Amino acid sequence: MTAEQKKEEQPEFIQFRYPREVPYEHALGYQSKFANALKQGRIIATKCPVCGRCTIPPRIVCPFHHVKQTEWVDQGQRGRLISAFKINFPMFNSRTGELQNWENPIIAVELEGGARMDGWCAETDPSKLKTGMLLEAVWRPEEERQGRADDILHWKPVEE
Amino acid sequence: MAERIAIVGVGQTHHKSKRPDVTTAEMIAESVERCLEDAGLQMKDVDHLVGGSFEVADGYHCPDKWIIPELGAVGKAGLELQNVGTTGGVLAVASFNIAATGLFDTVLCYSWQKMDEAAGAFGRGGGGANEYWTGQFPMSPITNFARRTYAYMDRSGCTEEHIAMVRVKQDQCALKNPYAQLRLGLTVEQVMSDVLLAWPIRRLHMCPTTAGAAAFIVCPEERAKKVTDKPVWVEDWFTCHQGGALTMAEDPTSSTLRHACEVVYKRQNIKNPVKEIQAWEVYEPASPAELRWMEEVGICEDYTAWKLFEQDKVGIDKEVPFNPSGGVTATNPIGATPVVRLVEAALQVRGDAGEHQIPGKIERALATGYGGQGENVIMLLRKTL
Repeated sequence: MTAEQKKEEQPEFIQFRYPREVPYEHALGYQSKFANALKQGRIIATKCPVCGRCTIPPRIVCPFHHVKQTEWVDQGQRGRLISAFKINFPMFNSRTGELQNWENPIIAVELEGGARMDGWCAETDPSKLKTGMLLEAVWRPEEERQGRADDILHWKPVEE
Repeated sequence: MAERIAIVGVGQTHHKSKRPDVTTAEMIAESVERCLEDAGLQMKDVDHLVGGSFEVADGYHCPDKWIIPELGAVGKAGLELQNVGTTGGVLAVASFNIAATGLFDTVLCYSWQKMDEAAGAFGRGGGGANEYWTGQFPMSPITNFARRTYAYMDRSGCTEEHIAMVRVKQDQCALKNPYAQLRLGLTVEQVMSDVLLAWPIRRLHMCPTTAGAAAFIVCPEERAKKVTDKPVWVEDWFTCHQGGALTMAEDPTSSTLRHACEVVYKRQNIKNPVKEIQAWEVYEPASPAELRWMEEVGICEDYTAWKLFEQDKVGIDKEVPFNPSGGVTATNPIGATPVVRLVEAALQVRGDAGEHQIPGKIERALATGYGGQGENVIMLLRKTL
């Protein structure tokens, strides 16, 4: 039956609604050490013995050299801005339904230890963000930390 | 030794924002029937099917179980695959691989997305590089391209006006393509005053949500020559995923497109892509992406593509015939989008693209699929062996 024929025979098309709620629990594995360090207010990264790249989130092997990364390097509390963007509308995590932090710009930071990571910026005016500016981590109170990205509330610009 | 393979038929639906008049299977059947008609074949001639969509955005699981019967193809060999944005690309590559074994004569690839049924799932683009980490940020295709474009503008000198010019060019192409969804007659001023989603990305810069399907048939050489006198040879193909690992940490403007093209160009001894490839259908999920992709496929030097728009050199009948169909910002049935690129590239090689046909002989055309944080699938087509 073609769409045209069907249209003639059935004046009102019906759509069914299927609301679904499917909870997942994913293991963090090797990344658990990183998540536990966040709870303690520290940022650590795995380091490749071949190329020396530090990666966040950590990986058990180097994505480029297929060697085990057993060395963990403390990345310090400061870094420089690589890129930024700001969303102009509230955005929900489509897996959990929770409202995400959309009021602070989302940035990529190159840390003192060499790894790069995503975060939120304390400066909410994106025109004041400049590539290369120095930033410092501002942490959530220790009892609230869960090993999540938002354990670091935001990155605050530091005067140089 | 692998068989040489050719595309012998293509088909797509007229893409729309909503299709409440058809089920997913009925919509796919529209593209499949057009494809069979284009090839002059019937379903009884097909001996292998490959199909898929971005499942999360559809809400269906293992849909081929009920779609293959609705296509009238029960009992035939069939695979279902999915890979979010590059789904159509991996479907095409799987179809090419199957045809190239010579074990199957006539391989039908069908792809679709019916985003009017679960468009909300489109926002779930965060996983990509790492489910635990990037999934915690409000990431989506919108924010992915906001970040890329911020860095691109920061490095290149490209302004908001230039990316608006890109969008207007895409729209002018779409106006000549009767299958395109958004055909708006835009001006640079309209684009620049549109709703801001995440600076510098405005609503008109992002690909729309689309209900649509696309299909093609690929055969080994001997069979292809019997089916059609206009076979489109598939010269080479390559997938390169892992965009998040390869590029976002190193350079937020880059994807895996450059590396994937380098592999294919080397294998086919292509030294000057802008001369040796006459048609491009490169998957640009946001209008500014087209700039960086033009650089990554080798059309111009890094961070200079915006100058080609300033000089009015990009368009169907211009120096750089990039995305003559109007591209992905006009039409985006996600799971089918790379197959739409392939279908459009094949039509260009055949000379059958109609009003958006690039003038002159098209010896080679390059189509791509893009996904997630920089994933790419390359499909290189050729007129003569």
